[in-house]
Amino acid sequence: MRSIVFCVLVVLGLSACETVQPWERGTLAKSEMQWHQDVMERDIRMQVYNSKEAASGGGGAAGGGCGCN
Amino acid sequence: MRRSPTASLLAVTSSALTLPAYQAARSDAPPESTEMGLRYSKYREDDITSDNAFGRGSERMEVDVAQFHLFTPIAREWAFALDVAWEDVSGASPWFVGESAGGDANVFMSGPSIRDTRTAVSVTTRYYYDRGNAGLNYTRSDEDDYESDAITVDGSLNSEDGMRTYGVSVSASDDTLDPTQGNTPTSTLGAEKDIRSAWVGVSQIISKRAIVRFGLSYTYRNGFLSDPYKANDSRPGTRKEWVLDSGYRHFLVPLNGAVQLDYRYFDDDWGIQSHTLDIAWHQNIGLHTRLIPYLRYYTQSESRFFANLVDFNDRYYSDDYRLSAFGAIATGLRVRYDIRDWSLSLGGERYRTDESWGAFSGEESPALVDAWRVSFGMDYSFR
Amino acid sequence: MQRFEHHFTVMGGPAGIILDAYDEELALAAITAVQREVTRLEAKYSRYQPESLASRINRAAGKGDAIRVDEETIGLLDFADTLWRESDGLFDPTSGILRRAWDFGSDRPPRQETLEQLLPLVGWEQVHLDQLTVYLPQAGMELDFGGFVKEYAVDSACKRMQQMGVTNALVNLAGDLAVIGTQGDGRPWRIGICGADHQKGAVSRIKLVGNALASSGDYERCIELGGKRFGHVLHPATGWPVQGLTAVSIVAPQCLVAGALATIAMLMPSQDALSWLAEVGLPWLAIGSGNQSVVTGNGMGEAQKTPPCRQGGAVMNSVRSSAADTAAYQASRPIPRRRAWHPSSR
Repeated sequence: MRSIVFCVLVVLGLSACETVQPWERGTLAKSEMQWHQDVMERDIRMQVYNSKEAASGGGGAAGGGCGCN
Repeated sequence: MRRSPTASLLAVTSSALTLPAYQAARSDAPPESTEMGLRYSKYREDDITSDNAFGRGSERMEVDVAQFHLFTPIAREWAFALDVAWEDVSGASPWFVGESAGGDANVFMSGPSIRDTRTAVSVTTRYYYDRGNAGLNYTRSDEDDYESDAITVDGSLNSEDGMRTYGVSVSASDDTLDPTQGNTPTSTLGAEKDIRSAWVGVSQIISKRAIVRFGLSYTYRNGFLSDPYKANDSRPGTRKEWVLDSGYRHFLVPLNGAVQLDYRYFDDDWGIQSHTLDIAWHQNIGLHTRLIPYLRYYTQSESRFFANLVDFNDRYYSDDYRLSAFGAIATGLRVRYDIRDWSLSLGGERYRTDESWGAFSGEESPALVDAWRVSFGMDYSFR
Repeated sequence: MQRFEHHFTVMGGPAGIILDAYDEELALAAITAVQREVTRLEAKYSRYQPESLASRINRAAGKGDAIRVDEETIGLLDFADTLWRESDGLFDPTSGILRRAWDFGSDRPPRQETLEQLLPLVGWEQVHLDQLTVYLPQAGMELDFGGFVKEYAVDSACKRMQQMGVTNALVNLAGDLAVIGTQGDGRPWRIGICGADHQKGAVSRIKLVGNALASSGDYERCIELGGKRFGHVLHPATGWPVQGLTAVSIVAPQCLVAGALATIAMLMPSQDALSWLAEVGLPWLAIGSGNQSVVTGNGMGEAQKTPPCRQGGAVMNSVRSSAADTAAYQASRPIPRRRAWHPSSR
């Protein structure tokens, strides 16, 4: 529950942001500014870490499992 | 002209503004080009040392992975993605932990008996609307002893001014275990496992060069959650997990590079808490090269029922090192080189674990693992 | 910040892109996207490309089958319909065939019976248009998108660049142009508008920030009969040229709107056009018949002496601070509206 409260507070705090016009978003569109800029790299990293660690998930719903964990 | 000139101006302007070129910016649109990629990775765990193992040291797991990725627009508002991964797994994994003659907890390996291949196919169709997109994904993962079918639905919605994006996704997975591997006895001959998961998130543009996101997810696992190949492993039949994730991207113009920060907090009803911090720096060099060094810190607390030397009178018990308290540091470097429509990438990562690096105290497992990974790949994009 | 320029030929005229950006990759991608977008529209709406949608619509005339068209085309046809209504039927996208009868450049008008054969094929009100299809009911009828597609292409190209993150750019298609923001150094884009006599230089200079400029004129396509000068703008009901202004330039937020209003003004008698332009409220410049008088209004820059432009039309003085006033950019010829579509139309 602590996490939910934290999340809501942060979002409220964000509404003070200055508007960045669509034509000013060129930098934000760069590949290095994406949440996942290399899908295959992300997949294999998640696969490797999930097979060795108890925690998993984040950034989306969990999806399917594999025999490795 | 019978109409007043200002009425004409209004009529002409409002008629023009209904044309596609004047519609509010569609921040979401299918990709303009088709991306294809191939990646080969080799993952190798360090041998377990004789200090920690019964008898001599032993080789651990080695995995060869080939990946294929395709992402293509299929119509004005649709895109399709196909991801395939082939894995070839061999080696040995910890079977159980016992007490050595000297009183230490030592691990007994399964012997070099594991040989498995995994094929995972993931297909996604994605629809883009004016203010977001929605995807439907089906993933099937097939191994000799494990099958998983998962469906994920996700959607996003951008705020009116495009400064904020809300996201949601839900997934369901039905997994089947059919332990047939190796010559060690297994604790089950066949079992089922279901996973249900939901995530909500929001990302917000905070300046021309920075963006942040937060997400919260809940995952419920139900079924046979023990490791069938481990002798001393009896886990609850359900697991409830909460994850808080956040991310930050900031582009630094003078350096021509971007910093990526990601943090994840994990909490479950097995008593495991964990922090993950991922820091990557994307350095552009000239127009074609990018250097990406990264550092990942991970720590977890031990599960309520973890012990190196388990007590079989307990209802639940496990000596699996993955349920012990430890810290892990991964350091990696990737290089990407673009030539025209091609992109080559090369990467290496060292993953090391240690009980003393952790933020949570606990019993140190003798089976903690260190590993290397190298990857090589190429991507091609065309219109 | 670096300046990138690209010049090419499209829709029968010269096209230019000027872009100021830090990021070469972005600039090159944007230039490619603009050229692709403009070429796409040419391939879709040119009457001179047999595989274009426009040609398919024209080939199907009178054959009984309506042609199914997309949202963009419906939007453009609805826009043409608005222009037709706002001009009291003087702007007619089906009147292009009348040009077959006229040989501008010669001193002879067409024979009246030639015109009378063509006139029944002109008439926007005859066109069957619904939200999915378009159909020309008589064999021989022709639809001409040339009166507005170039301006639409300018806007669409700017939109593409803005979506990609371009903040300082100019797109010019044969004198119809739009700018995104200012020049890279923060100064407005400077455009010169030339009259009929190119050697005399720009008749006016204007500064643009995030706006569009479109011109409609017929300096070259004209015919003189008995001392009277007739332009290329033909009255759809008579088949004879309208006697009005020689050229009109308008500044508006959208190039398509500027072009449309300039076209409407060109279809009016000169005096009506001038008072109409004044009332519309957008900055305008008009050159009267005989190429003599230059009239401006609503804040359009006053006429001033400027270096001559070699080709005429709008000349953009897109100067970088380092290259002060030497790099006059040749924007365009004063290609008349609706004849600027393809070289073979000349």
